[in-house]
Amino acid sequence: MSKIIAVHSYKGGTGKTLLSVNLAAILAKRGKKVCLFDLDFRAPSLFAILKVDNAECWLNDYLNGICDINKVLIDLSSRIQGNGKFFVGLANPATEAIRDISAKDRKWEMRALGRLLSLRNTLLNDQEFDYLILDTSPGLQYSSINAIVTADFVVVATTGDRSDVNGTRRMLKELYNLFEKKTGLVLNKILDSSSKSKKDEMHDKVKALYQVPLLGVVPCFCEILRAEGNFIFVQDKPDHPFTKILDEMAKKLDSNEVN
Amino acid sequence: MKYTRGKPVTKDEILSKKPLHILEKIKENLEKLNEKMEVMIELQKHGRKETPALPDASLDVMTLLSMPDHLRKTAMTICRCGRATAEEISQHTNRARAVESAYLNQLVIMGYLKKERKGRKAYFYADRDSQG
Repeated sequence: MSKIIAVHSYKGGTGKTLLSVNLAAILAKRGKKVCLFDLDFRAPSLFAILKVDNAECWLNDYLNGICDINKVLIDLSSRIQGNGKFFVGLANPATEAIRDISAKDRKWEMRALGRLLSLRNTLLNDQEFDYLILDTSPGLQYSSINAIVTADFVVVATTGDRSDVNGTRRMLKELYNLFEKKTGLVLNKILDSSSKSKKDEMHDKVKALYQVPLLGVVPCFCEILRAEGNFIFVQDKPDHPFTKILDEMAKKLDSNEVN
Repeated sequence: MKYTRGKPVTKDEILSKKPLHILEKIKENLEKLNEKMEVMIELQKHGRKETPALPDASLDVMTLLSMPDHLRKTAMTICRCGRATAEEISQHTNRARAVESAYLNQLVIMGYLKKERKGRKAYFYADRDSQG
């Protein structure tokens, strides 16, 4: 079943973009038709990570109602192994565009929500995409909440940091719950999660703390830091433990195990 | 009760038109009356406090978040459907048509939705195209 997945977190720096890019890539590697969208309009980053600077139209233009969504989509399927399709829709990184989108009013945000919601029809139903992955800004702001409302499932990235834990718990109760969204938690940058007993302990702790299903636990990997965002990790390092963890997550999402 | 919506049926009309047509007219007017009463009951139930009666309020996500749960469910569904009748909304929310009709009309009064009649059906939608 096709679906829209938003990747969100309370704090910045929890690994949303890393998770979004690699989750989209691994789903494409599994033969799916995937589109990854950058909805972090205040700090666009996908254009840099994916090294695309020739977008005909930006996602900003689509939300402004001045172009069709197909003009925004860029086909990067050649970068992924296998028969899957990998498209991206990018946020405009120009300072002027960031300023412009930050000054939008409620009416505009309402229309933007309408345009995001209509992607279900144009991309999932008409163009037969299997997954739309929405990378968002952290915290409670319009573009992120628009993405959450649009999504069928929210991947919530969190770290072990105290400030993050507290805010994430509040968001689960006061944001995703109110919109009746299914959520899966990803614990990122975790130490000591290799042994089975540690893993079980972690699962129990998370269940008690957040009361939502755990989608995955990602340990701290120096190799990811060393890569400096220069390549799509799951594509370039197919045997790395990180790739295996992401593959498990994709499997869970694909089999509706977490739904 | 003051009757303003439908025209009163005159004796000549009764004689000139088919009874079936008149019955349909009566049914239609009764449905309208019923809808109004449902709204009044709902308004009384929730103490009128969430009815600022803004002429053109926007149904954005922050507004959705601040709504009471029962209205948010209806408002979210109409956001997804775009344009729908109370019957269609009730199929998504698994609540009774009459309940959805009352909530939808309440959202119209609050200024978040627009209502348009087409024949005997009433369609509700968020007016995303108006400028403001």
